Amino acid sequence: MRFPIRLTGALMALSGILGSVSANAHHSFAVFFDNEQGVVSVRGVVTEFSFRNPHGVIRLNVKDKSGNVVEWKAETNSPSILERRGWKKDSLKAGDEINIEGWQARDGSHYMRMRKVTRTDGTPVGVPFESMEVR
Amino acid sequence: MSTPARHRIVRRAFGLGQALLLCGTWTAAAMAAEPAHPNLSGFWMLASGAPVEDPALKAKISPGTVILKDTGAVEFPLMEFGGLKLTPAAEAAAKSWDSKDDMSVANACRIPSIIYAMQGPFPIEVFQGTEMTVIRLEYFDMARVIFTDGRKHQSADGPMTKVGDSIGHWEGDTLVVDTIHVKEATITNNGLSHSDKVHVVERFKLSADGKKLLATQEFEDPEMLLNKGVRFITWNRVQGDHVHAYDCDPSFAENYAR
Repeated sequence: MRFPIRLTGALMALSGILGSVSANAHHSFAVFFDNEQGVVSVRGVVTEFSFRNPHGVIRLNVKDKSGNVVEWKAETNSPSILERRGWKKDSLKAGDEINIEGWQARDGSHYMRMRKVTRTDGTPVGVPFESMEVR
Repeated sequence: MSTPARHRIVRRAFGLGQALLLCGTWTAAAMAAEPAHPNLSGFWMLASGAPVEDPALKAKISPGTVILKDTGAVEFPLMEFGGLKLTPAAEAAAKSWDSKDDMSVANACRIPSIIYAMQGPFPIEVFQGTEMTVIRLEYFDMARVIFTDGRKHQSADGPMTKVGDSIGHWEGDTLVVDTIHVKEATITNNGLSHSDKVHVVERFKLSADGKKLLATQEFEDPEMLLNKGVRFITWNRVQGDHVHAYDCDPSFAENYAR
């Protein structure tokens, strides 16, 4: 089983992507996350999923290119918003293998703001933001 | 009881009845004369993308006011404030602001004021009455009461809160809300805060088809801003939904540390 980390270099237009995703809760998205770098894509195994406002948090173990396991944390949009997109508190469970796209923290840590989560068969978790109005 | 005393009581009762009747007649006449206002009640989700810049609302913006383009999910980067001109005190505070200070258990659930909260990408629910209108915000479980019974603002020593003291009146199809006594909080979520001297004027109206709630939020703050700012805000009407509990959990901030 492989858990590659890859950086997708294409920059995302703020209006098209961030405009519907970066639900600014208590802390500043623009200041804390690096949207100039583009979207980071990580594949790993969930170890913990919390689903509480102001943000849900997904913890997952990821193997880097050297085969070392590193922990990533991905904060989600507000769960009260995600619930309207089909997310539930048990949408992810420990042991689930998933792909996460998101924007990495500017300090370079393994922390990101989630944009989209898909299972290994490509099935999205919840309704992706780009496919409908924010609700 | 003597007969004359009985007569006095009957006359007084009759007089009181006449007064109530007159009052009722006056109230009914006043109500009949009062124009019907649009009903803003309902569940409203912030519209994604750029808000509607309604011409009638735009015409009411004070001269020289800068229009902020950060409504909804958009946020300004460090030291960018969309054209707002900062006082030296605000400039100094913004320069010393550190975003990581927000990432603490103490601050993760700090409630914003209505200035930031109203334009955020969260739904609101409006309950419009004749003497007051209540706006519930999903964001941080906030609730606003806007008095439309003709009362004045609270006195200068009234309480400071994150929702402030709001009074409203109708100008045609538009509900105009004037708010003071707003406790210090962020304006742009990147280091610029307003003081408790901030004054906010909001205008709310329905779109022609009734499917959108259109608003402007204009504010001035002599302590922090050298000019006025305004945001356009647009919400879409959504049937069958309600504001959910936000119930912010500050332990979220521990994720930054561990």
